[in-house]
Amino acid sequence: MAGQTTLSRFVGKADLVKQGAEGRVYRAQFLGKPTIVKERFRKRYRHPVLDEKLTHRRTVQEVRSILRCRRAGISAPVVYFVDYTSHCIFMEEIAGSSTVRDHIVSTQQANSCKELELQQLAERIGRILAKMHDEDVIHGDLTTSNMLLRCSSQDTESDLVLIDFGLSYISSLPEDKGVDLYVLEKAFLSSHPNTNVLFEKLLQSYTKSSKKSPAVIKKLDEVRLRGRKRSMVG
Amino acid sequence: MLNGSICFQQRVTQILYKDVKNAAELRRKAMEGNINGALVNPTMLVGPFQVLVAANKAVHLQTTGKMKTKTLNAEIIFNLSPTNNISEAFKRFGISDGDHSILVVVVHKSDEVQFVSDISAMVDGQQLPVDDVSSLSDFNKIKKLFKITPQEEKCGPLLDAVVCRMAIKDVL
Ligand SMILES: Nc1ncnc2c1ncn2[C@@H]1O[C@H](COP(=O)(O)OP(=O)(O)OP(=O)(O)O)[C@@H](O)[C@H]1O
Repeated sequence: MAGQTTLSRFVGKADLVKQGAEGRVYRAQFLGKPTIVKERFRKRYRHPVLDEKLTHRRTVQEVRSILRCRRAGISAPVVYFVDYTSHCIFMEEIAGSSTVRDHIVSTQQANSCKELELQQLAERIGRILAKMHDEDVIHGDLTTSNMLLRCSSQDTESDLVLIDFGLSYISSLPEDKGVDLYVLEKAFLSSHPNTNVLFEKLLQSYTKSSKKSPAVIKKLDEVRLRGRKRSMVG
Repeated sequence: MLNGSICFQQRVTQILYKDVKNAAELRRKAMEGNINGALVNPTMLVGPFQVLVAANKAVHLQTTGKMKTKTLNAEIIFNLSPTNNISEAFKRFGISDGDHSILVVVVHKSDEVQFVSDISAMVDGQQLPVDDVSSLSDFNKIKKLFKITPQEEKCGPLLDAVVCRMAIKDVL
């Protein structure tokens, strides 16, 4: 595979974490650190020049959004190196982390009264997303799988890390932010049944945390309505 | 001395000196191409990892023919800087005639070792463990130059913030 040979210039051994339609994700040791390598590959059906441009742009957008978030105090993986020739991003592996998705699923299964803990988590997510949108970063693919919980040693409160900015872009439009939340709502409610109340908590804390939230929530309501109409027609 | 591996099976050796008395002479030699290494100002470094990141990127860009400077050693110094201004990179991250501490960075093949004694013979100074580089760091200057926000420092160590900017600077 082309990807493996490119990668072998940089790392000794790489374990495939995820094989997707758009790229692959590997885990490896890079410059002595546990690293995640995200490789985007070309799409053969696209015109080569256009394909190169699009792939390049997505790689650039991903690393720019990561830095923009980190500057604002939103945790995202440290970028160690970017190879714009093979479209690989080498970034910090959030070691010993679990996805918010897995955390919610296991907490719900453990039928112990962890309701409060989940609510606090939802509120924290709401605050972080409000901060991210205030920086005009649109994530583009918000799901509970794209949020990692890092177990930090000093704090009992684990750190929430946003990942996968591959579809992200910069926009100040309330519409774009509303759609970002709508994508999350859809993913959230379908991954986690009976979490309407929990998601409502998330939105409440989002609303409280951002001065710009009224326009965003208004757009979210509009998008929901459009979604519902579309599903009634289809 | 610290030895780490980077891309294309290359190695990076870092040697840290304090109480250096012949910085001007070393700088002149480096400019004439008579030192097989990059002479770095250690007060602008948070840790040795920063140098690995810069050297790895330099070797990668050399191989793909995309270096912004003329030599690998110059490229390492350029990559340490958060901006795309070459002369500013040299001013901040290279050494000046009056400097008393120097980090020598050498990219080499794993079986090459001769350069270590060559460099030791040239530098009139006292060698320190490279991990002590943070005892020389000018943290305020680094934070200012890299424009590190107080919020960002809550996300993790200063080294992370610095490395992330180095890695991304070409698209900012
Ligand atoms: N920095 C990281 N630390 C730990 N695990 C990570 C990290 N980045 C990614 N992962 C793991 O790899 C999986 C896939 O990563 P990611 O979601 O970024 O790729 P992707 O879905 O293929 O990207 P895209 O949606 O842009 O095609 C994640 O679900 C997560 O489990």
